[in-house]
Amino acid sequence: MAGPNPADSGDRRTVVDVSVLALFVLAQIAAWEAAVRFFDIKPYILPAPSAMATQFVRNIGRIFDYTLVTAFESLAGYALAILVGVPLALMVAFSPFLRRTLYPEAVTLEMVPKIALAPVIVTAFGFSIGPKIAMVFLVCFFPILLNGVLAFTSLSVELGRFCLSTGAGPLRTFFKVRLPAALPQLFVGLKGAAVNATVGATISEMLGGDAGLGYYIVIALGDEHADLAFAVLVALAALGLAIFGAVILAERWLIPWHVSQRVPLQGVAGTLTRG
Amino acid sequence: MSVPVTMRAVRKVYSSKSGEVNALGPIDLDVASGRFVSLLGPSGCGKSTLLLMIAGLLDITEGEIDVAGKAVRAPLTDVGIVFQGNVLVDWRDTLGNVLLQIEMMGRRRADYEQRARALLSSVGLQEFAHRFPYELSGGMQQRTAFCRALIHDPPLILMDEPLGALDAMTREQLRGDLERLWMEKPKTVVFVTHSIEEAVQLSDEIVVISPRPGRIVRRVAVDLPRPRSFELRQGNAFQQLVTEIKQMFVGFGVI
Repeated sequence: MAGPNPADSGDRRTVVDVSVLALFVLAQIAAWEAAVRFFDIKPYILPAPSAMATQFVRNIGRIFDYTLVTAFESLAGYALAILVGVPLALMVAFSPFLRRTLYPEAVTLEMVPKIALAPVIVTAFGFSIGPKIAMVFLVCFFPILLNGVLAFTSLSVELGRFCLSTGAGPLRTFFKVRLPAALPQLFVGLKGAAVNATVGATISEMLGGDAGLGYYIVIALGDEHADLAFAVLVALAALGLAIFGAVILAERWLIPWHVSQRVPLQGVAGTLTRG
Repeated sequence: MSVPVTMRAVRKVYSSKSGEVNALGPIDLDVASGRFVSLLGPSGCGKSTLLLMIAGLLDITEGEIDVAGKAVRAPLTDVGIVFQGNVLVDWRDTLGNVLLQIEMMGRRRADYEQRARALLSSVGLQEFAHRFPYELSGGMQQRTAFCRALIHDPPLILMDEPLGALDAMTREQLRGDLERLWMEKPKTVVFVTHSIEEAVQLSDEIVVISPRPGRIVRRVAVDLPRPRSFELRQGNAFQQLVTEIKQMFVGFGVI
């Protein structure tokens, strides 16, 4: 979508930002390494970064395979949550009946810690990939539904009246005004859900599985290989960042006009997506 | 082209838990075709309510409103509406916002692009056709809203305090723009305001409405030559009218 250039900061500024961030992180890793060696910290308490790196390289094949497994579960559950959550949000937004029934119910269910449902789901549905996708779906679905309802119900009164005065039907009004107006709030939900996706996948792999990064962490710790567990954590973080980053990029592309896109993003995601 | 508007015994009653609130009326008013008529009254008097009822955007509790001889029962669609704010969409540039009216009406955008650019030029926005609302000042946004209300050449324009959210200087500039746009192509205009000066500068006739429940207190014809220049507005005739109307509001105990 054509739009204004949201990033005022030039390429040079980006390069400087990235270098500063990289140096900062490298310094922390160096301090960590030094502390482990100097204080002779036991590897099962806190492994040295060098040990983690060694394990990472040695097991790169398995880490890669398991990353694909966890990625598939996360993305499948996330996609399912979008496919169900967004249309349902629309229905709730435009149905007074659902807004009095399904919506308060969903808000109440949102209060249940979804993690607590993981053992229940595993017990009920076993160790296959299905329950893992179901778990991801659960942790992604609610932020999408709740923000979606908010998104589709918060058109300004004036804009709604303008639409009526043009004689446009509900479909045209939806695609030309309501949907684009809803996108910023919709993305709040999509981003929250993206963060949750790998959490749901990991926890269900930990509780009952035979593949995936969560499963690998449990196995590594069982073998007293904390360094390997930490190496897997790095892969898990990279996966989470990749999913979240993709959503951020989609947001940039779809709503460059929104106020949230005009202030430079903070944090790692901001640094990675700037420019 | 323009159309007349007639109101017969129009009332608006709001029902709430604590009973019924008589918000407006009964109102009897004729707005002749091509006239610029202001509804002037203190806030809460129901003038915006009346405007929304004319537009068919609010139910009429009692009475009837006819536009071009036809009773209003659903939202009017051959109309240009300007609200106080909040009406441009963030994801379209100025030109796109003006043309939104056309696209929403199911007409071809290409047929109106030239006209949209001409309208934008007429309010000094030719350089801003491809700027987005957040890059515009409040006055520029409201000028864009004027263009959007005029792009389809509607016979009736309804404006609900369109200058109300602007600073004093911008407001004065936009009054001039409005008068010029209207003089170029006189249409029936119903203009809601609580600014006496604004009403006197722009209107052929001012309908003074009392505090709630809003009723027509007086209809003041403004027979001053147009355009109503700065000099004219400093003159006796203009100032006398302003004072006269102000005194009515003193009488209500509003000021």
